[in-house]
Amino acid sequence: MNTRDIGYVALFAALIVALGIVPAIPLAAGVPITLQSLGVMLAGLILGPKRGALAPIVVIALVALGLPVLSGGRGGVGVFTGPTAGFLFGWVAGAFVAGFLAQVLDQRADGFVKRAVLLSLAAILGGIVVVYLGGILWLAFFTKLGLTKAFTVSLPFIPGDLAKAVVAALVTVKVRDALSIERK
Amino acid sequence: MIDGLGTTGTSPLHRLAPGPKLAALAAIATALFFLDDARGLVVAAIAALALLRSTGRSFGRIARDLALPIAVIAAVGLADLVFVDAATAAQVVPRLLALAFLAHAVVTTTSSAALLDTFERALMPFERLGLIDAARASLTLSLALRFVPLIVEEAAEIRAAQAARGLGSHPIAVIVPLVVRTLVRAERVAEAIDARGFPPPRNSNTSRREFVSEATTGNDHPHEHP
Repeated sequence: MNTRDIGYVALFAALIVALGIVPAIPLAAGVPITLQSLGVMLAGLILGPKRGALAPIVVIALVALGLPVLSGGRGGVGVFTGPTAGFLFGWVAGAFVAGFLAQVLDQRADGFVKRAVLLSLAAILGGIVVVYLGGILWLAFFTKLGLTKAFTVSLPFIPGDLAKAVVAALVTVKVRDALSIERK
Repeated sequence: MIDGLGTTGTSPLHRLAPGPKLAALAAIATALFFLDDARGLVVAAIAALALLRSTGRSFGRIARDLALPIAVIAAVGLADLVFVDAATAAQVVPRLLALAFLAHAVVTTTSSAALLDTFERALMPFERLGLIDAARASLTLSLALRFVPLIVEEAAEIRAAQAARGLGSHPIAVIVPLVVRTLVRAERVAEAIDARGFPPPRNSNTSRREFVSEATTGNDHPHEHP
């Protein structure tokens, strides 16, 4: 980790925080979706597995310091004892997996469309499948809902996250065309 | 900068050091998971609320602070009631409320600076083992907090520029230049921090906060300082 890596990690942690300030978009069912998970996907896809996973770790450390850095001004250790904390911890593994897949898949593709499709796949597997796995396991344990029910309750958020995965992939292709950053 | 949620005060909880408070929270949270008696859990929730009230926060203020977590807990209770049974809901809701009240009592009585110091001390054993560099870890946290307002400003500028050219604010059209510009800025800040000789030598009294404030205020002449 040189100082430049620290700058990148801090920047993406800040981006995740800043995306929480953007007003949440209320879904038809009244469930709000926020853009913070878009920041997590971007951290993985642009920075790669290790530095990508460090960005949400920094956000979690800021939460632990009692700073209101999560959407809706949430922060403090209370977040860690809440029923949805699994999604927050899932960000770390999710960014790592998205970053790892991006590293592997992006080298084998050329052309805007092909890269965007493969990066969307990386964002979906890391930023949705892995994050939800952590979130649903935690929710099922915390609320005694059971896995199936915990999954059902989480379903309304998936369409929004799919849209974010595609946006993250498109942004990543364009950003990496403009700047050369090694994924690590 | 973002202000912490902690407030100053003179209640017993305010005076307790952050380390013991966090340890107690972790111990009580674990114990609550092994307690399955609904009545016991209700008593725990009421006791936790009384503890939170003892910090000097009014019930109205507590309700406002915790509106979002309480809404989530209500939704979880409803889901338990519908999908599982009333007995489970009667355990889960008071348990989660007790946890929310206790954790909020810790958060509101501990300043972020005190927590940062505790955090650095907690990292020391790992630093001795060579696993973590405390100076770099706290530099990363300080930089992240410094970057948040920069990103918000930059996003507003990009939107204004695009509106001036008659472009609508399309998310991708805003995020791409935002990420590119702020990445370039992060690189420049990193160079500025290196130019100031980071990491500081062990016996130096230059704090990481000084590195961050100097490097991000656009002062590109580090050596002209007295």
